[in-house]
Amino acid sequence: MTLTTPARALWLTTRILVHEPELRSWLTRRSVPGLDVDDIIQESYAILAGLQSVDHIHNPRIYFFEVAKSVILQSLRRSRVIAFSAIAEFDALLIPDDAPSPEAIAAGRQELGRLAELIEDLPPKCREAFVLRKVRGLSQRDVASAMGVSENTVEKHIGKALGLLSRIIGRGGSRRVTSSYGNESPDADGADRATRDRR
Amino acid sequence: MNHPTPTEPTGPRETAADIEQAAADWVARLDRGPLSDEEQAELEQWAAADSRHSGAYARAMALNIHLDRVVALGNNFPVAPEPMEAPTRRRVMAVAAGVLVAATTGIGLFTLNRRSASAPAASIATAKGAVRQVALREGSRITLNTGSQVRPDLTPDLRRIDLDEGEALFDVTKDPDRPFIVYAGDLSVRAVGTSFTVRRTGPDAIRVVVTEGVVEVSRKDEVLGRVHAGISFAVEAASTPIITTLNPSQVDSALAWREGRLDLQGMTLSEAAEEFSRYSNLRIRVNDPSIANLHITGVYATSDPEGFARNVALSLGLRSERRGDEVILSKL
Repeated sequence: MTLTTPARALWLTTRILVHEPELRSWLTRRSVPGLDVDDIIQESYAILAGLQSVDHIHNPRIYFFEVAKSVILQSLRRSRVIAFSAIAEFDALLIPDDAPSPEAIAAGRQELGRLAELIEDLPPKCREAFVLRKVRGLSQRDVASAMGVSENTVEKHIGKALGLLSRIIGRGGSRRVTSSYGNESPDADGADRATRDRR
Repeated sequence: MNHPTPTEPTGPRETAADIEQAAADWVARLDRGPLSDEEQAELEQWAAADSRHSGAYARAMALNIHLDRVVALGNNFPVAPEPMEAPTRRRVMAVAAGVLVAATTGIGLFTLNRRSASAPAASIATAKGAVRQVALREGSRITLNTGSQVRPDLTPDLRRIDLDEGEALFDVTKDPDRPFIVYAGDLSVRAVGTSFTVRRTGPDAIRVVVTEGVVEVSRKDEVLGRVHAGISFAVEAASTPIITTLNPSQVDSALAWREGRLDLQGMTLSEAAEEFSRYSNLRIRVNDPSIANLHITGVYATSDPEGFARNVALSLGLRSERRGDEVILSKL
C-alpha cells in the first residue's frame, strides 16, 4: 500500500474532498447491511491515493462515486449472506447526474466562516494550538513556547483538532464539533433505519 | 443500541472513527517536522496493515491542506474565547447601531432584534505597512492594504462595507439578491460577483480598479459610471471621473501591494515618495523641486523605503541621506 504523495493529497483536496458530503449522503440512502459508510469512504480514498496517475480522470466526482460503488460491490460479492439480486440491483445503480444539488455545493465549499465556527467549537487548548499553528502560521515548536507546553503536547492538540474537524468536514459540516463525539453518525443512522424499516 | 450488528462476525475490528483519529495524529506528527527513519517505517507499516488506514491517511492529508485556508481568518482571529469584557462592548455597539436603524427606517425594531443577535459592524483595520486578508461569512474576501479600515455590515438583503480609509481589494461572491456595496463617504461602488479594489484617496475621492466583472460607481443616488475589468476609475469631488484603460500588467501592478510590493512604473519621484509614506513611518523627502518630477520605474518592497531611496539615488545620480525618520533625496 503506497502512502499518498503531497501532489496526490493536493489533488484529493481540490477534486475529491468537496464531493465527499454528497457521496456520503448518496451512500447513506442506499445503505448496505454490515457495511459502514465511513469504511467505504476510507477504502475509496485508499484506492484514489494508490492510483498510478490521475491524469486520465476528467470527472473526479463521478470517478469518486464509481470507486465507492466498486468498494461496495466487492464487499457484497465477498459476503455470503447477500442475495445475488441485491448485487445486481446495486450494480445497476446510476450515479446521480453531474449537477450536484445546491446543498451539496454549499456543504462542499465549506465556507471560511463555517470553518471559523468549527474552530471556535474546539476544546480550548486544542483551539489555541490550532489557531496559533494554522491561522497565525507558527511552527509547532513556536506554538509550544507560546503556550508554555511541550512540543509533544502541541502535536497531540493538533492531532485532536484535525481528528475532530475531519469528522465534520466531508460530512457536510452540518453538525458542530461538540455534538460529534459519538463514533456513529446520528443523521446517517436515522436514515439507515428508515430504509431498513421499509424492507 | 439500535445499531445493526454485522451479520458476519469479523472479530475485533477497529472502528472507522479510531482509524480517522490515528490518521489525524500521523498528519499532526508530520506537520511538526520530518519523520525519523523509524517513524517513517512505523507509518508505512501502519498504512500497509489495512487499506482503510492508507485511505484515512490520504484523506487526513487532503483535509489538512484544505484547512490551510484558515490563514485567511487573519491575525485578529481569537486564539481563545473572547474575554468577558468584549461581549459587553459588542452589545453596546449593537444597540447603538440598532438605534440608528430604528431612527431612519420604519422597520427598525425588528431589525434591532435581528442585529443584536448577530455581530455588529465591527471594524477591521491594518497598521501601516501591513496587509491583511479577511473573509466574510458569506464567502467574499477583503484584502486590506496598509493603514486601511473597513466596516462590513451584512444583512439578509445587503452586504454593506464602509471603507473608512485606505485601500482594499474585494473578491465578491455572486449573490444577485444581496448586492455588495462599498461606501466611501457619499461615494459607493456596487458589485454583484466580481473582484475590484477601492482606494480612498481623499474624503470625497476614490480610485476603483476592476480586475473581474463590472461595478457601478455612484455618488449618493447618482450613478457616475459603470466600470469594467481592466479599467481604472478615479473620481474626486465635483470633477468628472478620470477613466483609464489598464493593460494586464498595469492591473497587476495596481494589485502588487498584496504581495508587499509597490510598482512605481510611470510615477514621479514625489509621487513615489508619497506612495511609500502610506506603508512606512520612514518618510522620503524630496528636497529639490527640480528632481521631484523625475520619472522612475521599478518594483520595490513596500517595507523598504530606504532601499528604494538608495536605489533611486544611484540610478538618477542623486544623494540619499538618512536623518532620523526621514530619508532625504537631493542633488549631488
